[in-house]
Amino acid sequence: MVGFNKNIMRTILLASYIILIGLIITGISALFSYLNTGADRSSMLHTEIQKVEQYLPKLNWEPLQNEGRPMDSENLNALQNDYLDAWYVKQIAYKTNKIAGIKDYYTDSARLNLYDFIALNKAKNITIEATTLQHNPTLEFFSEDGQLAVITDRNVIEYKRVYKDETLVLETNELSTYKIVFLLEDGFWRIRHLVKEHTEIYKPENKMVNTDSLNIKGINYYPQATPWNMYGDDFSKDTISKDFKIIKDAGLNAVRLFVQYEDFGKASVEYKKLEKLKHTLDAAEEQQLKVVLTLFDFYGDYSVLNWTLNQKHATTIVNSVKNHNALLAWDIKNEPNLDFKSRGKDLVIAWVDHMIDLVKSLDDKHPVTVGWSNTESASILKDKVDFISFHYYEDLSDFDEAINKMKTEIPNKPLVLQEFGLSSYRGIWNPFGNSENDQMAYYKLAQEKFKTHNLQFMSWTLYDFTEIPKEVVGRLPWRKRAQEHFGFINQNGETKPAFTYISTL
Amino acid sequence: MQIKKTHIIPLILILLSGFAVAQQHEQASTNASVTTQTKYEVGSSIVLKFPATKAVAPLLYCSNSYGSTLISGDRKNQELHYKIPNNISKKTGVINWQLLDTKTPISGNIYITPKAEVATMETYIGPPSIEAGGTDYTMLVVIPTDSLDNPVPNNTTVNANFQFLDSEEKETILTNNLIAFKNINSKKESGRMLVSSESLGINSKEFTINVSAAIPTDFSISATRPHDYADGNQITTFSTSIIKDRLNNIVSDGTFVTFIITNAENNILKTTGTTINGVATSKIIHPDFKDQWRISAFVDGMAESNTITLHYKQVIEDFEVSFLNNNRTIRVGPLQSFMKQMIPDGLQVKLKVFKGDTLFKTLTKTSFNGYANFSLKPAIFENETYNFQLETAGKTKVFKSKKLW
Repeated sequence: MVGFNKNIMRTILLASYIILIGLIITGISALFSYLNTGADRSSMLHTEIQKVEQYLPKLNWEPLQNEGRPMDSENLNALQNDYLDAWYVKQIAYKTNKIAGIKDYYTDSARLNLYDFIALNKAKNITIEATTLQHNPTLEFFSEDGQLAVITDRNVIEYKRVYKDETLVLETNELSTYKIVFLLEDGFWRIRHLVKEHTEIYKPENKMVNTDSLNIKGINYYPQATPWNMYGDDFSKDTISKDFKIIKDAGLNAVRLFVQYEDFGKASVEYKKLEKLKHTLDAAEEQQLKVVLTLFDFYGDYSVLNWTLNQKHATTIVNSVKNHNALLAWDIKNEPNLDFKSRGKDLVIAWVDHMIDLVKSLDDKHPVTVGWSNTESASILKDKVDFISFHYYEDLSDFDEAINKMKTEIPNKPLVLQEFGLSSYRGIWNPFGNSENDQMAYYKLAQEKFKTHNLQFMSWTLYDFTEIPKEVVGRLPWRKRAQEHFGFINQNGETKPAFTYISTL
Repeated sequence: MQIKKTHIIPLILILLSGFAVAQQHEQASTNASVTTQTKYEVGSSIVLKFPATKAVAPLLYCSNSYGSTLISGDRKNQELHYKIPNNISKKTGVINWQLLDTKTPISGNIYITPKAEVATMETYIGPPSIEAGGTDYTMLVVIPTDSLDNPVPNNTTVNANFQFLDSEEKETILTNNLIAFKNINSKKESGRMLVSSESLGINSKEFTINVSAAIPTDFSISATRPHDYADGNQITTFSTSIIKDRLNNIVSDGTFVTFIITNAENNILKTTGTTINGVATSKIIHPDFKDQWRISAFVDGMAESNTITLHYKQVIEDFEVSFLNNNRTIRVGPLQSFMKQMIPDGLQVKLKVFKGDTLFKTLTKTSFNGYANFSLKPAIFENETYNFQLETAGKTKVFKSKKLW
């Protein structure tokens, strides 16, 4: 017995010894190989410069008819990049009152002008958050030796937020014309002279789109298997077509779809995602469904310096699907009012305002709306949108009052209840939750109210989902469980009683 | 003094409802006072005045070419005074301001006009080297700036001065788009052109443009050599005529000339040289056998010369070969040149050893004191019968069935 134990002991000792030695060797070799990585030869000279997309305002070069040497695309591209970077470093400098980066893009004497401003603003605790949304440069002159260029940048749209002692005192939109002399120094096109030749306050004029024929009876849609990840690897047009048929057969005429900002590739929209979006729209067209397309889903950073990137994103998407027959309307953002607290109400509204202008400037045929999360916020920017969208998840008993209030505030625009619904979750996290029959009663009552108020509606949502990403409602299980049971069709694919009232009877 | 006063006089304006005349974007609903003057010369002191309606002076937003800021007002009597900071008033261009007070804020523009003065002439010229002939040109770009580093107004006169050889010229150009520029074409001659510019009494420094000759035209070549024997020792020197462009300018020093030599067997030899004062020279050693060379020279892609022919005479008509030391030492010589003198050291002698018809070994030696010795080592050349072939100075001698032992 003793011998047996001794053998066990020996084996264990030996094995642990081998394991220990193995771990030590692995550790040392990992350290050794890490120390040996050092500078990669190709990276020693820093020849590879990663171009980061940080400032991408809309930029339209006038046809090249400059004096001096004919311009080529490489030089023009270099000039354009450095010019935009010059704006970018200037915006950052005035936002932070620091001079970092200025000297790369302004010559010795020109940068003093910026330093003067920074010193002045720093002393008075003034900061300026600004961006330029559009440039229309004309190349006036390019010198024979390729070292000097002059451009006139007409109708630059500048947006500024001026803060004094961290309080916003002015928000302004300006339309300015600049004349700029560039010198090529150390491989940078640096600004030598900058002269603002003209400026005025900019008020974009948007055409309102006629919404008389708008008659939305719709539903918010995500496929059952891939909610909030509709355009990923599991994208299947067949599934979507089948679902759209269910929706059409149920008597509805519209779906609301979401384009997520990051998922679609932020400023440089991924072609593949766009294709999938188009396939989805095709599927809707085949079923004669119209689509309300919600942009900027899951986007929560409204900072002014990102506006050009947001603008680029929206421009790509709007331009690629604006002529699609299935498109009904643009929804700028889902529930932006939920970000008022964390990002500042005025900033969020300013952002939404600009994005409305942008979308309207790109597409003047389809109406634009904003999906406010409650009835109180619905009147924000009411004069800019073509129809009002709002969400309602509160008790239906207060519904009439809320609607009447809205109607007095916004008498002249169609109202669309863009999201409503009731979760039929009753379980361990909420033992006294609503049953499926409660859900049915809710929808029955809701439809009656829509009839009385002549409301257009889009319910949330077709399916009960099995997995809710944490970005939607957070990690708390009771919220996740509740979110899983908003559908008309349960997780097994069976219709719930509420399905009867999915549309007007 | 009078002038200065008019510079400094701050403008006071009663802004009545008619102030829409003065570049405003809104209707003034209240009686506000503002300067009617909307144009100021750069560098002058600017104070905007408004009637004080409230106890606290509102901020004035103000933005120019380079940036934006907020200005706090001073209350003086019944007016609010806003002094535009120097860093804004010293730059030309438009300033837009806005009084952050009323619900319909008062706003307007001020134009800062450039001064009629030039303090510095920023001059850029390039490319710094151009070709003679009148078609190539360089460009003079001048950015005249005033003492506050502002570009001057459009249509300011800039005089461009050029000196080249005997001529001195002056041309007037006008600024446009903040700069003035002039293309300067080359003349027929090559040389150095001096350029300067002047505007409103201020002169730039001197700039030099190097006008180099245009591409060379065809030229001729010649050869000199100490004698015409193919002794493999003396050197033949080729030189070009003075290479010039089509306008008789001597091409730039360092123009690269390649001499291509084709010999009697159509093999190509090459030697190169660069020009000094238009002449390129290049040297090559004589062949060591009778030959005929055809030589022509090229400036690659641009010009070529005539072809000259050189003959080299055979120096060694015959040579003796003796087999010594069991035929294992082969002595070639005496090798004698054209005056029967011993050939200078270094003539190549080649020994080819055959076994039957197959080449077994090739040995090469150079002559020393008129002789070349080959010793055939027993380790390599076994005791056998070999055929030998000796070649030097283009001559060949064959010795069959020599036995080594």
